[in-house]
Amino acid sequence: MSTIEKITQLSHRIFNTSVTEQNVARTSNPFAASNFQKNILTEDVFESSKGNHDAGNISFTGRLSAGSKRIYSTFVGSLGNIGNRISEGIESVVAFCGKVRDSFVNTWNKIQELGNKEVTLDGTMEVLGRDIKTFFHGGNTREKEIAKMAAMDPRGEVAPMLTDGIAALEAEFTKAA
Amino acid sequence: MMDRTTIKNSKNFTRVADIIESLTINPNPDSVGVLEEIGTNSSIDEVRELTSKALVKRNEHDSLSVVITNKGKGINDLSTVVAMSTINELLSLENKEVAMGILENTISGEFEEEVKENARSVKALMALS
Repeated sequence: MSTIEKITQLSHRIFNTSVTEQNVARTSNPFAASNFQKNILTEDVFESSKGNHDAGNISFTGRLSAGSKRIYSTFVGSLGNIGNRISEGIESVVAFCGKVRDSFVNTWNKIQELGNKEVTLDGTMEVLGRDIKTFFHGGNTREKEIAKMAAMDPRGEVAPMLTDGIAALEAEFTKAA
Repeated sequence: MMDRTTIKNSKNFTRVADIIESLTINPNPDSVGVLEEIGTNSSIDEVRELTSKALVKRNEHDSLSVVITNKGKGINDLSTVVAMSTINELLSLENKEVAMGILENTISGEFEEEVKENARSVKALMALS
């Protein structure tokens, strides 16, 4: 084949797209024609494979099964109505938070019932499992401590505490200077 | 040297502030002695400031005497911040009767001229407030 014939064939392939398109398998994918190398992308292209190389890192895409993903979708969906609840002002803040917590706990229990063992949210569960009222009593701890010290003997009990406190502050102060 | 904000963000400072606060509300009169002996002699301005304010808040004869008649303490402190904070606390008192009595006694008593002068100035301010 002469050089001129080769160039003619090549230009024909470049400018006549209908010829190459015949080789593209048509499917329901609307983006099929624009795929690289004319191959249909059957896998999730947004799924990162980077996490799979590092076994120490948590990968929500690499290690979880499809069933798990569905369960988490359900879980996220269960929290999806928060904004409307607040704006409607149907419930008090405390009652609302209690319901959010209950919703979370129920969803978690459901996940456990389904036998899903892939996620550990122990720390989160500990916080969310607490009585919601405990979140509002935390600020009183300091006041309680002050009231407790106010009932002590100033010379016998409080004076040594004050001396130690000031000594610690002065040590910190000197160290930082 | 640490700036005031850094010190006040310290956990140790919070602890000291809590102890001083407890001595402010402690009904035992020995609290005044503890504040005077330990708090007003601290090398840290912020601790002396807290202590002076606590003594004023108690609004008792003994506690107010410490911050009005002692050279180098309360309104006579070498630190302007401590002295001004103490004066501000005195001006904020709802019942100024006891403080005014001590200021008058200081002005007419046997004290150093510097202490008497400060007492005169504070009394004038309190009379206006």
